[in-house]
Amino acid sequence: MPKYKIADVIFETEHIYDYVPKEIKGYLYTENAPAELTINLRQEDIDFEKNLAPDIEDKFLESIALYRKLCDYILLNKQGLIFHCSAIAVGSNAYLFTAPSGTGKSTHAKLWRNLLGDRAVMINDDKPIIRYIDGDFYVYGTPWDGKHHLSTNARAKIKGICRIAQAKDNKIVPITPSEMLITVLTQTALPKDEKQATELFNLIDKLLGTVKLYHLDCNISEDTAKLSYNTMTGDNL
Amino acid sequence: MKIKEGFILREAAGKTMVIAVGPAMQSFSGIITLNAPSVFLWRILEKGATEEELVSALLNEYDVSKEVAEKDVKDFVAKLVSANIVI
Repeated sequence: MPKYKIADVIFETEHIYDYVPKEIKGYLYTENAPAELTINLRQEDIDFEKNLAPDIEDKFLESIALYRKLCDYILLNKQGLIFHCSAIAVGSNAYLFTAPSGTGKSTHAKLWRNLLGDRAVMINDDKPIIRYIDGDFYVYGTPWDGKHHLSTNARAKIKGICRIAQAKDNKIVPITPSEMLITVLTQTALPKDEKQATELFNLIDKLLGTVKLYHLDCNISEDTAKLSYNTMTGDNL
Repeated sequence: MKIKEGFILREAAGKTMVIAVGPAMQSFSGIITLNAPSVFLWRILEKGATEEELVSALLNEYDVSKEVAEKDVKDFVAKLVSANIVI
């Protein structure tokens, strides 16, 4: 059975549709370490996803089910969580943009790529995984990478998380953990049981206390990328 | 009245929130943030209490008038009832 490595977790998967191995083939693992888990995907997992997204085909839902089950494992065993965002790396540091769907986080990430060229690497444009390792938070690329399929099989240390809102004029301000809390909770998967709840809230508490947090009011001009980039990195472009 | 099975409190970033887990997720998918007096009342309601008992507990714990305590309990209970969190 082929092995895969996502977010530094080596696993195998038993699936129904051929779409799953196609989608995750960029994360094939061919070295010798054993898989630490097998993710079995069954019709009931697909049905669970169908409840949340009735219009999507089963083969795609199976892939989302894999993401959810992998993240459930990572939450309970690896201090990691789902975080719906656009994650960009510049060097070894990562910057995360979060907002409700349709607000423009992918657009803002694109402005960073326009500004920085090859220096900006898209870790993931939709559903990366975040892990807490030795006092730092890292964002990992995953194959679940949004409608433009932008992702890299890599990880980077998270320096800042920025919430985006559309506005006429550009303005960025630092915000507190409690001001960012609900945003983060609405962009992750809410826990299914008490144990998951405990892990998730502990992790989010640590995340908000570890990385820098910002709120950005922005339009879609090049200036807005410069403003958020300079503020979040301390650089001066 | 009493808090229903599956509704739990968790803390992060200095805030205490109500979430639903298990079968309770079917009927409640949001997050409610509670202030300190509400957390105090919640803890009592986990074991079960009447509105009168909540009012006297609040009067014992906080330096407020009976009128304020009654209003706070009434508002809090109304919030829980409308979210279908208590039985």
